[in-house]
Amino acid sequence: MSVVTVTTDLNIGPYKIPSNGQNMIMNNYAQRKNLIIELVIPEPMMSNELATIQWLQRDYKISKLILCSIYQLPIKKKRIEELLINMQDVEFHFALEGVSGKGQDFLLSCTKEVNMFKKAEIIDSTKTSWSKLYEMIKS
Amino acid sequence: MDIEKELTVGRGYVVFPIENTDTFNKLRNSFVEKINISKKIGDNIDQIRKKLAKMTKAEINKTMVNLLSFNDLSEMIINSCPTLVKRLCGSELFIQRRAHTIINVPGEGQAKQWPHYELMSGISPFSYVIWAPLHDLQDQGGVYYIDQKKSYEIMKKEEEDGLVNGPTVLNLMTEQKPTLMKFGEAIIFNPFVLHGNVTFKSEFARIACNVRFQSYYKPLLQKNTDYLKYYKLV
Repeated sequence: MSVVTVTTDLNIGPYKIPSNGQNMIMNNYAQRKNLIIELVIPEPMMSNELATIQWLQRDYKISKLILCSIYQLPIKKKRIEELLINMQDVEFHFALEGVSGKGQDFLLSCTKEVNMFKKAEIIDSTKTSWSKLYEMIKS
Repeated sequence: MDIEKELTVGRGYVVFPIENTDTFNKLRNSFVEKINISKKIGDNIDQIRKKLAKMTKAEINKTMVNLLSFNDLSEMIINSCPTLVKRLCGSELFIQRRAHTIINVPGEGQAKQWPHYELMSGISPFSYVIWAPLHDLQDQGGVYYIDQKKSYEIMKKEEEDGLVNGPTVLNLMTEQKPTLMKFGEAIIFNPFVLHGNVTFKSEFARIACNVRFQSYYKPLLQKNTDYLKYYKLV
């Protein structure tokens, strides 16, 4: 029964986190939760299907899996369904959000939250100024 | 002036009475229960404040670890002021995932919160902050607020100078008078209002909680799922 961390592409939803940064975040989370990491799994870049962990599950019997964010969960319905089948007994931890749980209800609530955030408009802070931001609340 | 107008075109902050005092009392009781988890500090808020005032920074930090289990603090603060929150932002919200509890210890040499506006942290300009003490604030242990107009003038001057949080802001720390408040009152302010606290003399530490929130339908800035969660106010 292994505790694993998973690194992915550096583009994680609205965040851009290089894999060594992802490791730092997950290691710190594990330390705070008294979890001993036994394996670090790198998922390929440009993929959010979490396919590697699903085929490694057969050999490593993962019990707890740490990711940086709920944004790293697959988007496509088919992919999330596969993940739910293959990893149903695995406890998922999301370090940035500080949430953990297992099973269909938990993972679906995470994907639902991701979708809600994706619908929100985001102000690009590289293309604005303090004054422009201030004007926004006046309008 | 109407609260909404005061927050947008007025001073930018308003002291208001907490609507659901039962919920807020429960919040305070929950704080007392949780802070005593690993080691009994006191039976009520004033006993705890008195003990905390004599603790070292390391002891306080150790004690605050107990508060990590305070998972529903954000919801409790929001549900203490539902009408105001709904009026400003509607019932579908992004709220802070983990609201803050702040313990401020009296005496020179203790940490001071330098002046800042909340926007500096990357929350949306459409956010509001509710800040509420867990007891009466009769000394200088509270927070001072700089009128929105002056806050904006400073922000604009700094922007022209290519600075954020420079000496003009830091110089505001001198001679500020924190707002006196009663338990059951809170302050709501917009993210452009400069605020901070000063060192104070007292036998008691100051304990307060705060939460940031915005409408689900307004844009986010830099804070995302790392800081916020979706919440529907019933």
